[in-house]
Amino acid sequence: MTAQQQEAIFRRWLDAHLGLMLKVVRGCAAAPEDQDDLFQEVLLQVWSSIPAFRGEARETTWIYRVAFNTALAWRRGERRRREGHETFMKFDVSPQVQPSHVESLAEQEIVARLYAAIRQLPKVDASLALMHLDGLSYQEMAEVLGISENYIGVKLNRIRKQLAEQLKGANDEL
Amino acid sequence: MNFEELQKAWQSHDAGAKVLIDADVLLKEVRRNQRNFRATIFWRDAREVGVAALMTWLFLHWAIRDRVWSLYLVAFACLGVGTFMVVDRLMQRRKQPASNDSLKACIETSLHQVNHQIWLLKNVLWWYLLPFAAALAIFIAAAIWRSRHVAATIGGLCVYALVVAVLYWGIYRLNQWAVRTGLDPRRQELERLLASLE
Repeated sequence: MTAQQQEAIFRRWLDAHLGLMLKVVRGCAAAPEDQDDLFQEVLLQVWSSIPAFRGEARETTWIYRVAFNTALAWRRGERRRREGHETFMKFDVSPQVQPSHVESLAEQEIVARLYAAIRQLPKVDASLALMHLDGLSYQEMAEVLGISENYIGVKLNRIRKQLAEQLKGANDEL
Repeated sequence: MNFEELQKAWQSHDAGAKVLIDADVLLKEVRRNQRNFRATIFWRDAREVGVAALMTWLFLHWAIRDRVWSLYLVAFACLGVGTFMVVDRLMQRRKQPASNDSLKACIETSLHQVNHQIWLLKNVLWWYLLPFAAALAIFIAAAIWRSRHVAATIGGLCVYALVVAVLYWGIYRLNQWAVRTGLDPRRQELERLLASLE
């Protein structure tokens, strides 16, 4: 694979799957500086993984694998890449880049509480919760984690209950 | 609110919607990070192997110049340690986890690596310290023996043994501390993760 091809794929994945990567990062790290650190690490690993991508797996499955494996190996405060780097990411609040639908404040609150609840789960359960919420099939989740689909079902039942329990207070408030 | 409603709220939220990425700067950063990472690995390997190679050359040069057979042993010990490090590094490199492995495979490979690091640190006496110390002990004993003083030979070796024992005890304790504080918690964490997938 040439450098140009790798760059083209990386740019396409960034356009198509940025939200996926950010969800994994936010589901695994709470503090903004940790999220920044982990996000850079995920991007680096995604970039490095591209030459091995043969198109046999779905792009989303591939990126989930890379992102989860990176989050697993990443340890808070162990390595800081921010020093001396240029800022490539910024939050845009201008109206033209707002999402087409208007997220209600209540929905934003639910999502924020979901992230907090997911971060409380064990790492593997957090990975499953993120994929389940994103609507991945049992087969895709099994591929990402390397376990059987039956076991996925068993674990998801438990995770749903745990999430419901943790969000119970929030739901009452909402 | 049931899970389906939570899922709907989750999916309608676009995590990337309010984030703008400058792809050119990002690519520059990613390449810079990759270069730095490769350079770090290269210089770490070069430092370890370089020291062993330099010491081998120095002792070999000294042995040939002064015709001291016992220095060949020291050079051989340095070469052995350096070779062990290179071979071990090459073998472990093959077993490194790929970032696109399944999570379970990645955990298993990481666990293997951590266990190997623990093994290296716990057995540093056998593969690093002892070969060098034994060769150096023979060199010192031979040097003092040539002076034809038995008492001085025994005394010299006793002093050497004491210094080596104290030094190696310190290194052993340092390695145990590194295993206890850094590697053992990581191993336990990985074992817990693996157990949660089995």
